[in-house]
Amino acid sequence: MRARRVAVTGLGVVAPLGYSPDELFENLAAGRSGIGRLPPCGVREAPAPIGASVDFDGSGFFPAPRLRMLDRVSQMALIAAQRAIADAQVDFTPRARARCGVFVGTGLGGATTTADCYRTLFEECSDRLQPFSVLNAMNNAPAAWIAIEHGLEGPNLTFSTACSSSAVALGEAARRIESGETDLMVAGGAETPLIPGVLRAWDAMRTLAAADPQDPSASCRPFARTRTGLVLGEGAAFAVLEEWQHARDRRAPIHAELKGYGLSSDIGHITRPTVEGQARAMRAALQAAGLEPGNIDYINAHGTATLQNDVVETAAIKSVFGSQAFRIPVSSTKSMHGHLLGAAGALEFVVAVMCLRRDSIPPTMHLDSPDPACDLDYVADGARRGLGLRCVMSNSFAFGGTNAVLILTSGDSSGTILRSGD
Amino acid sequence: MNTLRTLEEILVRDYGVAADQVTLGANLVALGLDSLSMLELMFKIEDRYGVKITEDAPTDLTTIGDVVAFIDGLVARAPDLAAASTRPS
Repeated sequence: MRARRVAVTGLGVVAPLGYSPDELFENLAAGRSGIGRLPPCGVREAPAPIGASVDFDGSGFFPAPRLRMLDRVSQMALIAAQRAIADAQVDFTPRARARCGVFVGTGLGGATTTADCYRTLFEECSDRLQPFSVLNAMNNAPAAWIAIEHGLEGPNLTFSTACSSSAVALGEAARRIESGETDLMVAGGAETPLIPGVLRAWDAMRTLAAADPQDPSASCRPFARTRTGLVLGEGAAFAVLEEWQHARDRRAPIHAELKGYGLSSDIGHITRPTVEGQARAMRAALQAAGLEPGNIDYINAHGTATLQNDVVETAAIKSVFGSQAFRIPVSSTKSMHGHLLGAAGALEFVVAVMCLRRDSIPPTMHLDSPDPACDLDYVADGARRGLGLRCVMSNSFAFGGTNAVLILTSGDSSGTILRSGD
Repeated sequence: MNTLRTLEEILVRDYGVAADQVTLGANLVALGLDSLSMLELMFKIEDRYGVKITEDAPTDLTTIGDVVAFIDGLVARAPDLAAASTRPS
């Protein structure tokens, strides 16, 4: 029995389909897609790419002197984190600041700045790189800026484990609270990969979905026989994690309890996932939560819509849950918000918390014809409501093989859990 | 005075400095211009005046007046470019 429990007291997003967890969740529940055509990327004869972009202009949030020191990824991270902190209604006292840290996951960091440097060097043939380039591009800039902005003096770490980065950031943050090192953590992720070099590099791996000729917004089809790959998305998602009694003492709104976190490494191929690796992470999370497979009411899948992932993840779920697997609803919201890479785990963590709060499950979209090897209940028929959800799992897997699984519960009678209606 | 006005315009627009603070005696650090901002400002001066600031870029500028004198010196050494100072940026 753990002495210290971890409450989720704040959520904030800057994401395709929403600037708030409520807006995001309502769009997902309605099956709306944030995926569409992006502007042409300047490569001759290359078709315009697809992606899930955020209608975001940093100049609407930051004055010019500030903006020039912030890559797009830090801009989004600062706004999402600020909203999570506002949602948690935290008023940081000097003493509280010393016991509060910031953990962020990002795969690419300030990739836009890096691209700008190459454009200056090789397109303009100029060596006049902006003096702030290094500070804007470095992967730990988002975490550093959040700490500076809010005066958070505790541990400040950035995790880069590709597509599980921000799930790792959240899980590791929870552990710092459990261990007693901190009382409060601002944790999440940010990613802005919708730039030509990154899009083309992912395309070169043959992992990106082909644009659906009839409806580009339906291009990401997890678990479908007709799936062709993932669709990249951008955005940031943050949570405030807080020691349970700390949250109770200040009468904070508690959205959910972060009950379990499991990590594993595939130790296989650098890109190819393994059933055993993913299953080990799910089992580790269940064990950490002190729960049985039968306790899980919903799984927010990694569900990238790549040929490899969806079959392997389905097999891994069956390996862990046995015959229970066919009873548990599993959905991939990436079918609508795309794959936010380093921010994906945090965005889907927010979705999982909202599932508990709204007691409903968003669907997997564009799944008319499932892959025969994907034979679970993927909630293809639209959102489900009023299920009495108590316990949900969020899966995040990654190139490199770092698998991270988070388990959330709606808490128990000792907590002041909020549950709003639809 | 022309140089001061041009500098004021850049500092107000790109650095959020209040126009009435841009005086010859104003300290650069007090205006919020750190060392990286000064490097960046040199690019803007190059663009605005059509000059190239090479290795002799000064590191001892402490006031707005120092920057104005520096710019005026640059332009004086490249008189053919002086006309560029009136072009819009």
